[in-house]
Amino acid sequence: MTTVPRKPFDKSQVWLRTVLLLLTGVTLYTLMQLSAPDLDQKLALMADNFRLMFSESHFKHLTLLEGLYGIAITLSLAIQTTLIGALGALMLGLLAARNLAPHWLTSIIKSFVALIRAIPTILWVLIFAVSAGLGSTAAVIGMTFHTVSYLTKSYSESFEEIEPGVIEALRGCGARWWQIVFQAVLPTSLHPILSWTFIRFEINFLNAVAMGAAAGAGGIGFDLFMAGGHYLDFREVGMITYLIIAVSMILESSSIQLKKRLEL
Amino acid sequence: MELLEIRDVSKIYNRQTVALSNISLNVGEGEFVSIIGPSGAGKSTLLRCINRMIDPSSGAVFFQQNRIDQLPKKKLRQVRTQIGMVFQHYNLVNRLTVFENVLHGRLGYKSTLAGVLGYYDSFERRAAYEILAALGLQEQVFKRCDQLSGGQKQRVGIARALLQRPKMLLCDEPIASLDPSSSKIIMDHLQRISREMKITCLVNLHQVDVAIKYSDRIIGIRNGEVVFDGPPAQITPLIIEQIYGTEAHELILSLETLQPGQKSPVKQSEVAHAAC
Repeated sequence: MTTVPRKPFDKSQVWLRTVLLLLTGVTLYTLMQLSAPDLDQKLALMADNFRLMFSESHFKHLTLLEGLYGIAITLSLAIQTTLIGALGALMLGLLAARNLAPHWLTSIIKSFVALIRAIPTILWVLIFAVSAGLGSTAAVIGMTFHTVSYLTKSYSESFEEIEPGVIEALRGCGARWWQIVFQAVLPTSLHPILSWTFIRFEINFLNAVAMGAAAGAGGIGFDLFMAGGHYLDFREVGMITYLIIAVSMILESSSIQLKKRLEL
Repeated sequence: MELLEIRDVSKIYNRQTVALSNISLNVGEGEFVSIIGPSGAGKSTLLRCINRMIDPSSGAVFFQQNRIDQLPKKKLRQVRTQIGMVFQHYNLVNRLTVFENVLHGRLGYKSTLAGVLGYYDSFERRAAYEILAALGLQEQVFKRCDQLSGGQKQRVGIARALLQRPKMLLCDEPIASLDPSSSKIIMDHLQRISREMKITCLVNLHQVDVAIKYSDRIIGIRNGEVVFDGPPAQITPLIIEQIYGTEAHELILSLETLQPGQKSPVKQSEVAHAAC
């Protein structure tokens, strides 16, 4: 009878299992340490608040038209930061793609944008608020900053997925770098680029909502903040939430439509 | 004066893997040369050392009196316009049309801006159309490349190379991914290009029978060295064994019975043409 040889020792597997085991242990320990004497009461209160918010939603301090105006402001904040960010990221993404730029340059740009990405958008906005003051300027700069680094990473990875042969073929024709970028790289990666940009647009819309509340950038986020924190009107909070969800869903479905058209 | 002269070219990867060792070759104008040899013998590396997609480690490459391995970037780009390249996987920009892909062959002659914007004058457009028509692709001109069959894609690849108005074509296993009938069409086109347009063809091949049928001259490479260089008529089972080693001997021997002038086992009929 033949025996199947033992699988060779795999260091990474061992590490993976150790880490997973450790995390499971920590989770179990934390769950056991939880103590909440009046948990059921609190849960009931929460359920009641949710009911108020979402089944008795209404407009009171705000009309529907004003709500839509807030949405428009928030959307334009998202569009502006995404557009400026995408333009910057396009250039940086080309220079960060290993198949298009020298190795030293790609590593510098990649580690730089990773550093920016490691800090959340809201922190960048607050950092810029120090120099520009709380308000829409800080929000635009901070959100753009984070968008550039996010899109640089995704764009450069899309560029790197291009078949090396295509670039080789054009270099073999005597084409220059810019010609290769516009004639081969961009047409080939158009689809992932638009896809990433749209995802970032959706993220930026939600960021813009949060910035309205947290950084005083205006828009629907500020209205939400006023309804919840100032007027303490949960029903209006619910209505505004519905509005935001509706817009998100419209964005989602239009991005799907866009992708469908591009497939053809 | 020879069109291409390769003198003592070696290529060593990572200071240890020897891909080519002291290759010397002369190739004349209009010659159809096949390079055969086992996978990893250095065929692709040799082709790419000629237009310097890969820099040789040592030796010299002369093309039309230009010493390619020492050319500065700008001059190298000019020389590259004179050398067309055809690939196993076609290497077309799939999302663009056939026409746009063929016109890419002109990029080396254009200003950066015109190339970036994809602006081509009427001469270039007419030349591109004529080449496509000559290759039997007039119906496909405005189709997107990802809608074509493998054989059609390879013809687009050839059209792109021809629009460069090259002196020489480097073909890196042009039929390795194609079925027999498409392969025959591609090889026939390449043969016509070398005979009628006097364009030198250097073709890497895996199929010994195809090499024998089409070439003026065959170069056998093994482990980065030239082990055979001569006309197809001189290929014998012994030489096949020298190139490919004893293992492959028997398999190739059956194909080997084919001599130049004989028909290939592929039925060359209308069926083949209709298929593409």
